Amino acid sequence: MLTFTLRRLLLAIPTLLFISLIIFLLVDLAPGSPMSEIPLTVPPEVRQKMIAALGADQPVFVRYILWLRQFFWVEPAYLLDGWFGTDLAGDQQRILSWQSRSPVFTVIGQRIPQTLTVIGTAYLVGILIAVPIGIYSAYRQYSLFDQLGTFVAMIGFSVPTFFTGTLFIIIFAVWLGWFPTKYDTTLEVTDWASFIRQMQQMAMPVMVLGLANAAAISRYMRSSMLENMGQDYVRTARAKGMTERTVVLKHVLRNSMIPVVTVIALGIPSIFGGAIITENLFGVNGIGAALIGAIHASDLPMVQTLAFIFAVLIVGFNLIADILYGFLDPRIRYD
Amino acid sequence: MRDTQAAPLVQVEGLKMYFPVHTGILRRHTGNVKAVDDVSFAIHQGETLGLVGESGCGKSTVGRALLRLYEPTAGRVVIDGEDIATLSHEALRRKRPTMQMVFQDPQASLNPRMSLSAIIAEPLTEHTKLTAAQRQNRVYELMDQVGLNRRFANRFPHEFSGGQRQRIGIARALALNPKLIVCDEPIAALDVSIQAQVVNLLEDLQDTLGLTYLFISHDLSMVRHIADRVAVMYLGRIVELSPRDDLYARPLHPYAEALLSAVNEPDPDRAKTRKRILLKGDLPSPANPPVGCNFCTRCPKVFARCLTEKPALVQVEPGRQVACHLFETIHPATGSTGGSEAKEHLQHGVTQ
Amino acid sequence: MKLNSALLGAACAFAIAPAAFAERGTDGEVKLTFPQAVSIMNPYLSSGTKDIYAASMVIEPLAGFDDSGNLIPKLVSEIPTVENGGISEDLTSITWKLIPGLLWSDGSPVTSADVVFTGQYCMDPAGGCAQLSKFEGVASIEAVDETSIKVTFTGPKPNPYTAFVGATAPILQKAQFEACIGAAAPTCTDQNSMPVGTGAFKVTGFTVNDTVSMEANSNYRDPAKPAFATAVIKGGGDAEGSARAVMETGEFDYAWNTQIPPDSQAAMAAAGKGQFVVAFGTLVERLEMNMTNPSADLPEGERSTAMHPHPFLTDINVRTALSMAIDRDILREVGYGAGGKPTCNIVPAPAAYASDNTACLTQDIEGAKALLEASGWTDTDGDGIRDKDGAKLSILYQSTVNPIRQDFQALIKDWWSEIGVETELKAIDPGVFFGGDAGSPDTFQKFYADVEMYANNFDGTDPEAYLTQYKCDKAPSPENQWQGENMNRFCDPAYDAMVTELSSTRDPAKRAEMAKALNDMVTKDTRIVIPLVHRGTLSAHSNALGGVMINAWDTEMWNVADWFRVK
Ligand SMILES: Nc1ncnc2c1ncn2[C@@H]1O[C@H](COP(=O)(O)OP(=O)(O)OP(=O)(O)O)[C@@H](O)[C@H]1O
Ligand SMILES: [Mg+2]
Repeated sequence: MLTFTLRRLLLAIPTLLFISLIIFLLVDLAPGSPMSEIPLTVPPEVRQKMIAALGADQPVFVRYILWLRQFFWVEPAYLLDGWFGTDLAGDQQRILSWQSRSPVFTVIGQRIPQTLTVIGTAYLVGILIAVPIGIYSAYRQYSLFDQLGTFVAMIGFSVPTFFTGTLFIIIFAVWLGWFPTKYDTTLEVTDWASFIRQMQQMAMPVMVLGLANAAAISRYMRSSMLENMGQDYVRTARAKGMTERTVVLKHVLRNSMIPVVTVIALGIPSIFGGAIITENLFGVNGIGAALIGAIHASDLPMVQTLAFIFAVLIVGFNLIADILYGFLDPRIRYD
Repeated sequence: MRDTQAAPLVQVEGLKMYFPVHTGILRRHTGNVKAVDDVSFAIHQGETLGLVGESGCGKSTVGRALLRLYEPTAGRVVIDGEDIATLSHEALRRKRPTMQMVFQDPQASLNPRMSLSAIIAEPLTEHTKLTAAQRQNRVYELMDQVGLNRRFANRFPHEFSGGQRQRIGIARALALNPKLIVCDEPIAALDVSIQAQVVNLLEDLQDTLGLTYLFISHDLSMVRHIADRVAVMYLGRIVELSPRDDLYARPLHPYAEALLSAVNEPDPDRAKTRKRILLKGDLPSPANPPVGCNFCTRCPKVFARCLTEKPALVQVEPGRQVACHLFETIHPATGSTGGSEAKEHLQHGVTQ
Repeated sequence: MKLNSALLGAACAFAIAPAAFAERGTDGEVKLTFPQAVSIMNPYLSSGTKDIYAASMVIEPLAGFDDSGNLIPKLVSEIPTVENGGISEDLTSITWKLIPGLLWSDGSPVTSADVVFTGQYCMDPAGGCAQLSKFEGVASIEAVDETSIKVTFTGPKPNPYTAFVGATAPILQKAQFEACIGAAAPTCTDQNSMPVGTGAFKVTGFTVNDTVSMEANSNYRDPAKPAFATAVIKGGGDAEGSARAVMETGEFDYAWNTQIPPDSQAAMAAAGKGQFVVAFGTLVERLEMNMTNPSADLPEGERSTAMHPHPFLTDINVRTALSMAIDRDILREVGYGAGGKPTCNIVPAPAAYASDNTACLTQDIEGAKALLEASGWTDTDGDGIRDKDGAKLSILYQSTVNPIRQDFQALIKDWWSEIGVETELKAIDPGVFFGGDAGSPDTFQKFYADVEMYANNFDGTDPEAYLTQYKCDKAPSPENQWQGENMNRFCDPAYDAMVTELSSTRDPAKRAEMAKALNDMVTKDTRIVIPLVHRGTLSAHSNALGGVMINAWDTEMWNVADWFRVK
């Protein structure tokens, strides 16, 4: 398993380098300019100077090499400096956002907490809702519960989050006044009252995303359960005189979880990716909002760095999913 | 040796297993797959009843419904004095140790995520009060019994060969000292060389543990080897139930005759006189069986009555039951006795 | 009940007056929300309105504009004029005098050195200053003494109120930004996000593109202000969400830029929690006519250049007919509701500069048809499209991807088809359209279309620079890498001459006269530009927030020190 992991990690390096180049070129070729948001009142000469000050007028390969150096050398050096008080980075240039002129990693650092709390909670809530629903729907296939579950899942799938989000805002914020519509990222949970406020502001985005996540995962769970439910070993378990609980929750569920856990693991990078629409709608201002904002502003360093981090996460979680699979399914062995 | 006078261990009466067919968007119930349609038989203590028939005729379904791994549509299944078809779930669960099953597919019937010892020990935890150490001992004991090396206790099913897996399945079935074991084609998935080993193992176990088997197979020579009596199934119904030697020497039902004509006859003399009977046509769908005799569409001896009336399984000779209209018309002499015996049977409510 | 509301009304009436007697920091928190989040608190490194407005609560210029566009002193004791000797007779220099005893929020004194430094900071060639145009024509900035700053221009400057005037040119603290000059400017993250200022508030927390937290500046020059102890600007979401947070849920006190569809405006206003306010600046949604031939048959480098005149848009009758066919009030109603006014001017405000040109406001389809008919544009081949000498009135009409603009396009296409003009619509990603990428065929400068629609405005109250954009030499062309603001490639020596004259005229009345004339030259006289709607910025404030005076000439937060909580 260790050699497998190491080999996969080694293989990932050229893959990721290649991906980073592709992303860089794609982002660079994408239409738009960092200056497109500048009002027309700014004269062209000034625009030119601003572009030059950003370094955006350099040839693409110069910028790519610079970015590589910054990403793989300067930024880690800064990180180490921050941890150990060393001075590896010196005063080398970090990756700066064109939009805010602040280091991209500072922005990411500021945004990770709310993305993880909100989107992560939504994912967790989604799983917690989806798994029991999936199990029960499969156990009672075609029952009223199952039909209802299918219906709700269809809604969760097909209704876009901006719609459910807006609906929730109108119901829970405008009519009922229970929850705020704008997430306060500066809120610190220090006591019970602030905890309650945190819960209130998380409620709607978590519900919206949780619903969407639950829809997908419950379907996976259901079909995986159904697939296993008809297997002979389940009949064996029944023949052994095991209780229905044991049969379903131990035999069927444990086997059904194998693909579901993989799907869940593969979905985790998307947590980091944030949820562009939901974040924007509720003002969560996590990574997703940062990405879309950066795309709109043609903030190349930000888009490039975020896209690359997602690529790393995706490759990483693919590996994790594979390893998990090996752990969960004794039939799979990597050597 | 066998006490045939005593009440049989298994008494099946009018067993039906229909699988509902749902079609359309609304999944309306539009029909049934009559996988087992009105089957009755008995198995005595210590006996091996062979159940043969071509693929899809409902053998496995009989075996599963017998152990109520399916909820039977109708009928009584009395095992060891209790009608398990009507037992409550909890009572049934407690009854389970007395009746076990060895499955057709040794790979699929073992939970891939459980080690061998976990698979064998699980029912012990559920149904006995053994300590962990005692359970482990019992696992080893069972492994010895079926000829599995103790070193394999912590391996997972996929790490075994097919034959070994079937031994695990047998050890598992034996764990709770059952009285009845339904062996659903236990050797079908195995190599010929291993088939004999497994069958021998089953026979040895029967001798030492006094087990009763329902031995399901489409391998007629293997059934001949192990069974005391044999039931021949066709399209969800038993067409003939006879002692082994009688059946193999002189099959009565045209279907049994055709089936056996395909078997290699060990006796060269008899082999010469036998000619293979080839059945024409396909097996009708169990969802839509013929109105009359289920075999009428392919029977070489079919006549008018067969097309309209389903023959009942009646005793035509001592110990031999056949479901065929021929035996009420071709042998009028024996027909009267057979008929009366059949009536007797009817009164027992075996058929209806 | 009646008595109660009467009392409440009285209390409100009083509340506005006694604001002056209020104490600093007694009104709790004021919460603002911007649909675009604040990226940076330094206007010199960003030209985003969101950033400039947010920064204006913290850092201030020497002078600003009030809600009618009048200059008001901020950090100076009075506005320099020729009369009070603040501006030299020859209009080549202006001397500003700081209020004595002025302090930065960190307690250090504001001196002329800070102002001089700010000038250097923006004018540094390596700094990429976004507000460089504010310093155009500045020859030198010098500290006369501790509190006086003299700005000298390269020539006579009729409007010297550019450098250090308005929210786009605030004073930075030298001590804080000293190390951030030139190429180092973008790397000073802390300085750029938490500048030390003289404004009513000072930054206490800043998260990029998310939240700015502020508290009352304890060294603010008016000891009684601001009434609020803290302020927060939450950014992100969309206009709809911002408006809702003020008008429907009451979570926020002020929402800038809440441009939402007219029907939503009415529905939200009905909730009774707040009100919309509109700042009418100089933003005009307009159609620009291409005077050159954009035909794809022409070789690259000749398309849309002065080498090939446009086959039919060069005919004033065609342009006039196109304008006559449009019902501007319907456009306003569909697109902007209260946030817009139909207009025929490209300089719609301030009032002194706005021409009384209203003839275009009534739609006249029949008139347009008659005009085309009379000028020889008839449908000779019976396909419903007018033509003349082989040229067909078939227009490619481009704009950016934007729901309102697409509505406008559809409506205008309909009207034009009524007068026998065929229109093909094109919508381009705004990033590309405004991106100025010389390699893209879809920029508004290249103008590879017959007609294009966008909005433009000018900064401050003086339209001179804006009107300069229609000079001959401002036409984008391959020679200048398609840079320039004269999209139409309009070229009239008379216009150029008058612009030159304007730049040396200092009498305000005369300037206004000339600005109107220039406006008329490109609009009603020639129809080079067909103005459609004068767009305001719709903002919303809660009924619980007092003191808001919407301002189109400077930051909307220009008087944030006077804001207070209505109790
Ligand atoms: N769960 C089910 N739902 C519907 N039909 C079923 C189901 N299980 C079995 N059947 C049908 O019942 C009939 C009998 O199936 P069964 O498995 O008992 O056959 P079999 O005699 O064991 O065949 P084989 O020798 O191939 O194992 C078949 O036609 C089969 O399609
Ligand atoms: Mg079978």
